[in-house]
Amino acid sequence: MAVASLAPDAGEVDQLYIETRELRLQGFLFFLISDCVLFSSFIFAYLYMRNSGQGWPPPGVQRLDVAFAAWNSVVLFGSGATMHYALENFKYGHFMRYMWFLLATIVLGVMFLGGQAYEYNHLIFGEHVTWAGSGIFGASFFTLTGMHGFHVFIGVCYLTVLVLQSAAGVYTRGKYFGITAGTLYWHFVDVIWVVLFSIFYLL
Amino acid sequence: MSVAAVHSGGIADHIHPEPQGFIRRYVFSLDHKIIGIQYLVTGFVFFMLSGLLAETIRTQLLNPNGGFVSPETYNEVYSIHGSAMVWLVVIPLLTGGFGNLVFPVQIGARDVAFPWLNMLSFWIFPVSGLMLFSSFLMGAPTAGWMEYPPVSLQGQAGTSMWAAAIFLVGVSSTMTGLNFLVTILKMRAPGMTFTRMPLFVWGQFATAPLLMIATTALAAALAALFINREFGVPFYDPTKGGSPVMWQHMFWFYSHPAVYIMILPAFGIISEVLPTFARKSIFGYKMIAFSSAAIALLGFMVWAHHMFTSGLAPFLQLPFMILTYIIGVPTGIKIFSWTATLWGGKIHYSTAMLFAIGFVALFTLGGITGIFLAAIPFDLHVHGTYFIVGHIHYVLVGGSMMGIFAGMYYWFPKMSGRLLNETLGKWHFWLFFIGFNGTFIPMHWLGMLGMPREVATYDPQFTFWNRFETFASYLMTFAILIFFVNIIWSIRYGKKAGANPWGARTLEWQVPSPPHYYNFKHVPTVYGLPYDFSQPLPYKGLEEELTDSPPAVAAGAH
Repeated sequence: MAVASLAPDAGEVDQLYIETRELRLQGFLFFLISDCVLFSSFIFAYLYMRNSGQGWPPPGVQRLDVAFAAWNSVVLFGSGATMHYALENFKYGHFMRYMWFLLATIVLGVMFLGGQAYEYNHLIFGEHVTWAGSGIFGASFFTLTGMHGFHVFIGVCYLTVLVLQSAAGVYTRGKYFGITAGTLYWHFVDVIWVVLFSIFYLL
Repeated sequence: MSVAAVHSGGIADHIHPEPQGFIRRYVFSLDHKIIGIQYLVTGFVFFMLSGLLAETIRTQLLNPNGGFVSPETYNEVYSIHGSAMVWLVVIPLLTGGFGNLVFPVQIGARDVAFPWLNMLSFWIFPVSGLMLFSSFLMGAPTAGWMEYPPVSLQGQAGTSMWAAAIFLVGVSSTMTGLNFLVTILKMRAPGMTFTRMPLFVWGQFATAPLLMIATTALAAALAALFINREFGVPFYDPTKGGSPVMWQHMFWFYSHPAVYIMILPAFGIISEVLPTFARKSIFGYKMIAFSSAAIALLGFMVWAHHMFTSGLAPFLQLPFMILTYIIGVPTGIKIFSWTATLWGGKIHYSTAMLFAIGFVALFTLGGITGIFLAAIPFDLHVHGTYFIVGHIHYVLVGGSMMGIFAGMYYWFPKMSGRLLNETLGKWHFWLFFIGFNGTFIPMHWLGMLGMPREVATYDPQFTFWNRFETFASYLMTFAILIFFVNIIWSIRYGKKAGANPWGARTLEWQVPSPPHYYNFKHVPTVYGLPYDFSQPLPYKGLEEELTDSPPAVAAGAH
């Protein structure tokens, strides 16, 4: 794969681009806000059901394995750090370092999804805790972590597209909103996981 | 950006190439005005279908034992009537319809922030509408527009289709809200500060965050209902630990803001029509503008007043009652400001003005019964009776629909270049006004006497007033037929309107009817409020709008 370097004069942008980028950034932040409301609603549902039942975890369900999920969280938070360095390196023109950090983010994201798959496998086939068959525990745990995992999956796909686009020279020193949006999205998914980890594993 | 320099080369100086061909102009159009008209046409088609369902309900209630349709069908009919009126008629007409049509021109923008997203929002809407009506084919939902579990969990197969349809139309609403909010925040013409925006824009500005935030909460509730029904995941199923009351929380956390989604843009329409036809500056501009924002904010804090009979914790009941009372204050500010606007004005009783004044009267009545219902002791007495039905129709038909009709008579010349016929319009108004009150006033005392809503039969002692309501509702339907005839007739034979038939002062009236696809040849500079009828227009740079000269900036590819 031929990797194009950034053209030296590519830092120049016109007024139309600057204003359009401002609109896109604002719109993307609003999208994240409304996505956040989607998670908040399910989190509310989980806390509501948890408090209206007879103790937690419900009878017949083991407490979740904190240690494994904690390591998995470290993987995801690490991917947040690599994503941050990817964007910063791009801004300062270090294209190859940007690409390596981006690839590292994708690998860590896939590792997180693998960890989640391992945990699901353990819960479903090891402890027979399922989505529909384990009352409100299965309903809230699998729905929320599944939604989050789906967001991570979408993020991984998006970052893969970023890699291909960057290799094709789509982004320049001045025009890289796609990378900014990807970074914001990835951090958003990280923050959601902080909340989910706290309320499912620590609470 | 609102104070960007002239000819900065930014969005304000950028015109897309003219769309070519029928498909790009009128079907998959990116032009906000065309998309607005598409919303209006689609919304009014669904309005006719919902109206047929409403007349089915009224015809069933001619006799205490019904007999027009079976009780099961009756349940399906009122469920779909309510759902369709809320999600397919009132919300899309007021936000996607009038919002798209008017507000980008009013703030001096060339289009909304994301035209492609706008087109996508629109095309999701008719698809979800067809899905909603298609649920009749597989057994429509039967638990009312609120679809409370556990009844909705046991409902027929169409209930899942209902959830999917409402989810989709919610996605459309969310995208519209996001689009409008960015447009208003970032794309106002130079000098168009927040406190110079027309009040219709303030209505949309207060509505957009509600669309964006509250609708997502509904999406979560609907998704949970769908997977509960289809995959047996027990969110709402009390036999497996789920909670039906949780649905009510999630549903009303959306649906209470939704009633403001359905009324704030109508407030905006009224605030444009009243000063124009009273020839007098709007009274209390800032009060009207900020009370819209206050209503939007408070709207998120009152949802549980729908649940006073649902086993809400007692310590929660009193705060929700008090907050509900508080929300009456900004609403009252608006009513008094509109009344003061009329006072001493040279009132011209055009049809749009009649509907606007009718709106103020009927919405006030609906608001007052709302204050009744906020009181827990009273609410416990009339909950689930026709009093509620009377209340909601006073605010949604007497309020929102009257606002929509006022907007149609007011802005029809702007979208078509021709005026609606005033004689037919006055017949429409008076028959509708009389029919409406005849239909919904008796519901208040029927409800006080204990006639339950959502039941296919009733006690014979209520026969007289039910028949009275039914005949009055036929009158209302006839008035709406006059309206449709008026539209179809006026598109071809209506009087030519010219750019500004009403002598109105907001920006959309300073450009030709219909406006060019790029809205303005020069983006104007704004110097003040649009409502001061004693002063010259507060705009500069509009001199060439009504001439044949080409736009000041050349069209170019993005």
